[in-house]
Amino acid sequence: MEALSDEILMQKVAEGNLDLLKVLFDRHHKYVYNYLFKMTRDAMLSEDLTQDVFYKLIRYRGSYKGGAFVSWLFSIARNNLKTHFTRDHKFHDPIEVLDYRQADNEQDKQEEYSQLQNALDKLNAEDRELIILNRYQEIRYEELATIVGSTPGALKTRVSRILKKLRVIYLESN
Amino acid sequence: METDKNKHVSSQLSAYLDGLLSDKDKQLVENHLAGCETCQKELEGLRELFKAFEEDHVPVPSDRLSTQFDLALEREKSAQTKVVQLEKRTAPWTKNLLKIAASVALLIATFQTGRIMEMEKSNDDVAILREESLQIKQTAMLSLMENQSASKRIQGVNYIEEFPNPDETIVKALANRLLKDENDIVRLHAFEALAGFASTETVKSVFVKALEKEKNPSIQVGIIQALVKIQEKKAVGPMQKLLEQEDTQPFVKNEIKMALPKII
Repeated sequence: MEALSDEILMQKVAEGNLDLLKVLFDRHHKYVYNYLFKMTRDAMLSEDLTQDVFYKLIRYRGSYKGGAFVSWLFSIARNNLKTHFTRDHKFHDPIEVLDYRQADNEQDKQEEYSQLQNALDKLNAEDRELIILNRYQEIRYEELATIVGSTPGALKTRVSRILKKLRVIYLESN
Repeated sequence: METDKNKHVSSQLSAYLDGLLSDKDKQLVENHLAGCETCQKELEGLRELFKAFEEDHVPVPSDRLSTQFDLALEREKSAQTKVVQLEKRTAPWTKNLLKIAASVALLIATFQTGRIMEMEKSNDDVAILREESLQIKQTAMLSLMENQSASKRIQGVNYIEEFPNPDETIVKALANRLLKDENDIVRLHAFEALAGFASTETVKSVFVKALEKEKNPSIQVGIIQALVKIQEKKAVGPMQKLLEQEDTQPFVKNEIKMALPKII
C-alpha cells in the first residue's frame, strides 16, 4: 500500500476504500500544514484549516476525477485559505480576537523567525504562495500550473523572477 | 552562439540548481557562467537562498490534527454502509430488479391466496354436498324402514352402513324396527345394525327391552350375547324371566345359563 502512487490510492478511496485515506493523510498533512502555516503564521488557524482540507477530502472523495493528487489537494488547501480570508474580510473579527492575534504574533516573534521568513514576508501574497509551494512542497511546475491556473512555462519564468527578487531581499537583510 | 554565450542566464539559474535543465541547456549555462561574473554572483546568492530554504525550520502540527482526522475517518466509515445502500438503490438496474422481484412476489402471493380461497370454498362445497347426500340417505333410510315391503325395510335398515355416527333419529327408527317389526328378518337386521353401537345407553336399554319381548330364538341368542359382551346388568332380570318361561327354546336357556355367570 505504501508504495502505491497518490493517484492510485485516491482512486481506491473514491471507490470506497476509506482506510487508504489514512495513508494519504500521513504522506501529505505536514506539507499542507506547512504551506498554511507559512502563509498565515498562525499555528492554530493552520491546524484548523489543514483539518478542514482533509475533511473535505473525505467528504468529496467521490469528486476526484484522476489527475495529480497533489494538485487537487493543494487546490483544496488554497481554497480553504482564500475562503478564510474573504470571510474574515467580510465579517470583521471582534476586537478581542485581533488583540489575541497580536499577542500571538508577538509571541511568535520571540521565537525569532528566520531571515528567510522575514524576507518571504516582504513578498506579496501571490508571489509568496508560489515560492512556498515551489520551494517547500517541491511541487513541480506542471502541478503548480494546475493549482494556480497557469502554464508550466509561464510559471517557470515567474518563479525565477520572484526568486531573483527574494534573493536580493534576503541578501540585503543578511 | 556568440549571442547565446553573452546573454545572461539569470532566468535559468534556479532550474540549473534544481537540476531541471537538459544537458544542452546546462552546458550553455555553464559556458556562460565561466565568463560572466554577474551571473556567477547571482548563482552564489541563489545557492545561499536555496540553502536557507533547506535549513528553514519546518513547523510540525500537533497530534490533535492526526487524532481528529482518525475520528472523522471512523465517523465516515460507519456512515459509509448507509451510503452504499442508497447508491445501490438508486442504481437503475437494481431498482428494476427489485421492481420485477416485487411483481413476481405479488403475483405468487395473489395466486396462492386465490388458490387457498378456492380450495377452502371447494372444501366447503364438498362438505355441503356430503351433508346433503347424508340428509338424502337418512330420509331414504327412514322412509324405506316404514315401507310395506319387508325387503324394502331390510334395505332401509342396511343403510346403517352409510352412517358411521348415526344420529338419534336413525337409532330410534332402528330400535322401532327391532321392537315392533313383525318380520323376523327385519328385526334380525335391525338388531345387527344396532349391535354396532351397543355401547350407547339408548341401544343398551333397547336391547334389554327387546329381550323381554323377543320370541325369535336366533335374535334372543344374539341379544344375549351382545348384552354379555357389554356387561349390561339390567339384562339379568329379563334373562331370568326367559329361563322361567315355558316357551323359551332349550338352547336359548342354555345360552342364558352360560351368560348369567359372565355378567355377574
